[in-house]
Amino acid sequence: MSELIQLDGLTVDFDGRFQLSNINWCIEPNQNWMITGTNGSGKSALAAVLAGVGDVVSGTQTGIPDRVSLVSYEAQGELIAAELKKDDADILDVISEGTPVQEIIDQVCQDQELASQLVKQFGLDALLDRSFRKLSTGETRKVLLVRALTSNPQLLVLDEPFDGLDANTHKMLAAHLSSIVGQIPMVLVLNRFDECPDFITHIAYLDSGELRHQVAREDDSAYAELYQLLHLKTGDVEVPDADPISDLPPLDPTQPLVRITNAKIQYGETVIFEDLSWTIETNQHWQLTGPNGSGKTGLLSLITGDHPQCYVNDIFVFGFQRGQGETIWQIKQYIGYVSTALQWEYRVSTSLRHVIISGFFDSIGLYSKYTDRQRDIANQWLEILGMRHRADDPFNKLSYGDQRLLLIARAMVKHPPLLILDEPCLGLDDINRQRILALIERICAGSETAVLYVNHHPEDKISGIDCYLALD
Amino acid sequence: MANYFNSLPLREQLEQLGKCRFMHLNEFTDDVNALKGKKMVVIGCGAQGLNQGLNLRDSGLDVSYTLRAEAIAQKRQSWKNATENGFTVGTYEELIPGADVVLNLTPDKQHTAVVTAIMPLMKQGACLSYSHGFNIVEEGMQIREDLTVIMVAPKCPGSEVRAEYVRGFGVPTLIAVHENNDPKGEGLALAKAYAVGTGGHKAGVLMSSFIAEVKSDLMGEQTILCGMLQTGSLLCFDKMIEEGVDAAYASKLIQYGWETVTEALKYGGVTNMMDRLSNPAKIKAFDLAAEMKDIMRPLYHKHQDDIMTGHFSATMMADWANDDAELLGWRADTAETAYEKTDAGDMEISEQEYFDNGILMVAMVKAGVELAFETMTSAGIIADSAYYESLHETPLIANTIARKKLYEMNATISDTAEYGCYLYNHACVPLLGDFMKDIKSDVIGRGLNLNDMSVDNARLIEVNREIRNHPVEDIGGELRGYMADMKRIV
Repeated sequence: MSELIQLDGLTVDFDGRFQLSNINWCIEPNQNWMITGTNGSGKSALAAVLAGVGDVVSGTQTGIPDRVSLVSYEAQGELIAAELKKDDADILDVISEGTPVQEIIDQVCQDQELASQLVKQFGLDALLDRSFRKLSTGETRKVLLVRALTSNPQLLVLDEPFDGLDANTHKMLAAHLSSIVGQIPMVLVLNRFDECPDFITHIAYLDSGELRHQVAREDDSAYAELYQLLHLKTGDVEVPDADPISDLPPLDPTQPLVRITNAKIQYGETVIFEDLSWTIETNQHWQLTGPNGSGKTGLLSLITGDHPQCYVNDIFVFGFQRGQGETIWQIKQYIGYVSTALQWEYRVSTSLRHVIISGFFDSIGLYSKYTDRQRDIANQWLEILGMRHRADDPFNKLSYGDQRLLLIARAMVKHPPLLILDEPCLGLDDINRQRILALIERICAGSETAVLYVNHHPEDKISGIDCYLALD
Repeated sequence: MANYFNSLPLREQLEQLGKCRFMHLNEFTDDVNALKGKKMVVIGCGAQGLNQGLNLRDSGLDVSYTLRAEAIAQKRQSWKNATENGFTVGTYEELIPGADVVLNLTPDKQHTAVVTAIMPLMKQGACLSYSHGFNIVEEGMQIREDLTVIMVAPKCPGSEVRAEYVRGFGVPTLIAVHENNDPKGEGLALAKAYAVGTGGHKAGVLMSSFIAEVKSDLMGEQTILCGMLQTGSLLCFDKMIEEGVDAAYASKLIQYGWETVTEALKYGGVTNMMDRLSNPAKIKAFDLAAEMKDIMRPLYHKHQDDIMTGHFSATMMADWANDDAELLGWRADTAETAYEKTDAGDMEISEQEYFDNGILMVAMVKAGVELAFETMTSAGIIADSAYYESLHETPLIANTIARKKLYEMNATISDTAEYGCYLYNHACVPLLGDFMKDIKSDVIGRGLNLNDMSVDNARLIEVNREIRNHPVEDIGGELRGYMADMKRIV
C-alpha cells in the first residue's frame, strides 16, 4: 500500500441494522492499527468498511486498495453459506462432498510455497482433501487465515484473528504476522489489550458506532487509560461484597434516607438558598443540577455533616435528627462520597490499597488496623479497576483520572446506602470521563445503593437516574 | 499574683517538670461519656476556639460560645466565626452560669482579665479548661477552690486540629490536671473525654503537668520550632542571593524546603532526615551542625534559663503592658525582609533536590532539634516532653511556612511564641554571622555537585553512629513506635 487511507466524515449503514457515524480516520502506509471497543461498538463494522462492506450514507473514503483481505466471523460465515448453497444447487442425485479445503485455498492463493508452509504450521495438512463445510469452526477460521495471508493483499484486515485458536497456533500466527510487518499494512480487530501484538502502532477505540479515541502506542499514559477503559467496559467482574465485620447498623426501612425541611444556608447577609425541602428514599437515584454558586455542594454537605450549619437546620439523616448528640462518624458511615475537593484533600502519601481500605473507616488516610478480609475486598476492587498490579504504589503518583477511579471504589467499598458523586467527571478528559461513568454504571447496576449525582454536562449521563432536583 | 512555678520548692518544681507519660489508646474506652450532656461553653472564637468547638460538636457534645458583650454588639470576627458555624453565642452573664465546663481558648494575654471576669459567674463545682498553662504557671492565677482546672492542649495550630479531625484522625494532644484544683478528682476523666472529642486520642495523648507544658512549650517554640526556622530562612536566602542563585528559586527552596526535609524527620527522626543526603553531603551537614551547635548552645541555654526563672514571661508581660510595641515592630520588620518579599518561582524542584541543595537547612534543623532537646532535658524536662516540643512539632511549623512563608507561621502561632521567636532571631542572626561568612552555594542553593561520591569509611561510620546515638533518636524511636501502632499509615 503506497497511499494513505483516509475516511472523512464517513457514515456507513449496514442494512439498517447498524450505523457507523462520522468516522474521521487516517491510516498511513507505515502504520499497523488495532481497532477495539465493547461488543456492539462497531469495531467489526469499521474493519468491514475497509473491505468494501456497507452502504456509504455520507462522507468520503479514499485510498482503499483493490486487494483487501478480510478475515472475520462474517466473512467466514459467508464462505460457509456459499458452500452450503452450492450443495442446495446441486441437481445431481449424488451426495455432494462440497469443495475440498485445498481447492478453497487455491481459489485465491498467489503463493503456493507460503500456502504449504502455513497449512503445515496450522496443522491443516491432514484436512486438505476434506470438504470445507465439514470442518469445525476453528478449522474453517484457519483456512480463511491461510487464504488471506497467501492472496498477496495490499491491506490485511483481521477481525479477532486469534479468537478460538489454541495457544500454539496463536503463537505461530502472531509470529507470522510479525514477520510480514512492513510488507503489508495490517488492521486488527481485538477485544483484549493483552493480545495486542508488538507491531501495532496505533489503536482506534469505538463506542456506539463512533470512533471515540485514536491513540499512538508509544503514548504510554494514553495507552494505559484506554486499556483501563476497555477493562472497565468489558471486564467480567462483580462488585465485591461488603465486609460483614464492618456491617452498618441497619436503617429503618419505613424512614427515608434523608429528609431536609425548609433548609437555609447563609453566609453573613448572603442567603445561598432557603426554604429548601428534599426527601431521598431508599434506592432512589437522584441528579442534582444548578449553576455555580447555587449551593449544590453546600446542600450535599448538609447531608454529609460537613457543613456546620447542619446543626441549625431541620435535617434527618439515616435515622438521626441532627444536633441531638450524634457524631458525624455515625452519619458518615452510611455515605460514600466522591468530589474534586475530596481528591484535593486526599494528599496523603499512602498506597492504592490503603486508599480503598480507608473507605471502611471514612477516613482520609488510614489510621486503623484493618482485617485480612478488608484487604481482600480492597484487592478485588483493584482488580475491577485493572490496578491490582499497582496495589502498593503511592496514591499521589497516580494520574488524575486513576485517582478519581480509586476514590469511587473507596466510596463504594462498604456498600453505603447513599453514594454522593459531586461532579465526578470534573477536570477529566473525555476518555477519563468515560472510564468514570463506566465504573459508576457498573456500581449502580450491581448494588442497592442510592446514587446522588451532581453534574453539569448532559453528555455525562448515568443510566438509571430518574429523580431530578434543580437549584437556581 | 506571683509566678506559681517560682513559689514551689525545688523538689516539687523538678517533680512537676518531670511529668509526662504517653497514654495508650485503651485508656480512652470511656469515649466522650464524661462530657456527654454537659454544657460546654467556649470563651473566644479564634482559630483554636472555633476549631476545637467544631470537633467537639461533631463528636456529639453540646458546645456554645461566649464572647464579651462588645464583641457581640459590634459583630466582630469572633462573633461571625461562631454564628456562621451555627453555634449559640451569648455574653458571659448569659452562658457562664449554666456551663458545666468553661473552655478558655483566648490568647494568653487576655487570660487574667477573662478568668477574673468569668470566675464569679461560674457555678459551684464546674470545670475550667485551658489550652496553655501560662496564666496558671507564669502569672500565678488563683482559681476558686471548688472549680476543677484542667488543660487540653492540641499540639498543632487550630486549622490543623480541624483538618486532621475531618480526615478521621487527630493531632497529638497534651493533657494535664492542675492538682491544686481537682476537688472532685474528676479532672483526668474530663480531660480525657475532651481529648477524645477533639480527636486527639487517635494521634496520641501525653499526660503532663501545667508546669512541664509551659516550660517545655515556651522553649520549643522560641528556639527550634519558630526561631530557628525564621533565622534559617533569612540567613539561607540572603546567602543564596549573595552567591548569585536565582532569587525566585532561592525563595522556593526555602519556603518548601523546610516542609520537605522535616517530613523526613517526622517519619524517621534526625537519622532519616540525614540519610536522605548523599554520603558526602551527610558528612558535610553533620560538620556544619556540630559547628552551629557549639555557636548556638549558650543562646539555647539562655532561652531555657530565662523561661525557668520567669524572666522571659516578665519581659513579654512588660511588652503587653506597653501595647505590644516590640512585638508589632518586629512583626513589621519581618514583613520587610528580602526573603519575605520575594515570591517563590514556579520552577520544578524535586523532593530529593530540596535535600541535595538544602544541606545547610538540614544541618540547621539537626542542630536546632538536638540543642533544644539537650537543653530541655538538662533543665529537668522529661525526654518525652522535650521530644514533642522539639522534633515532633518542627514539621508542623514547617507546614505553615510552606503555606505562606514567615508571615503565615507568625500569624498561626500564638503571640507568645511569636514574641519568643523574634527574641531568638535577633540574637541568633548576628551569632551565626561569622559562621555564615564561610558558607557557599554548595551547601545552600546549588548542591555539592561532586563527580566522586566516595567517603572515608571510618568517618562515615563515626558520623552515622553519632547521629543515631543521640538521645532524641532514642526516645523518638519509642514514641514514633507508639504512634505507628495507632497510625499505621502516616
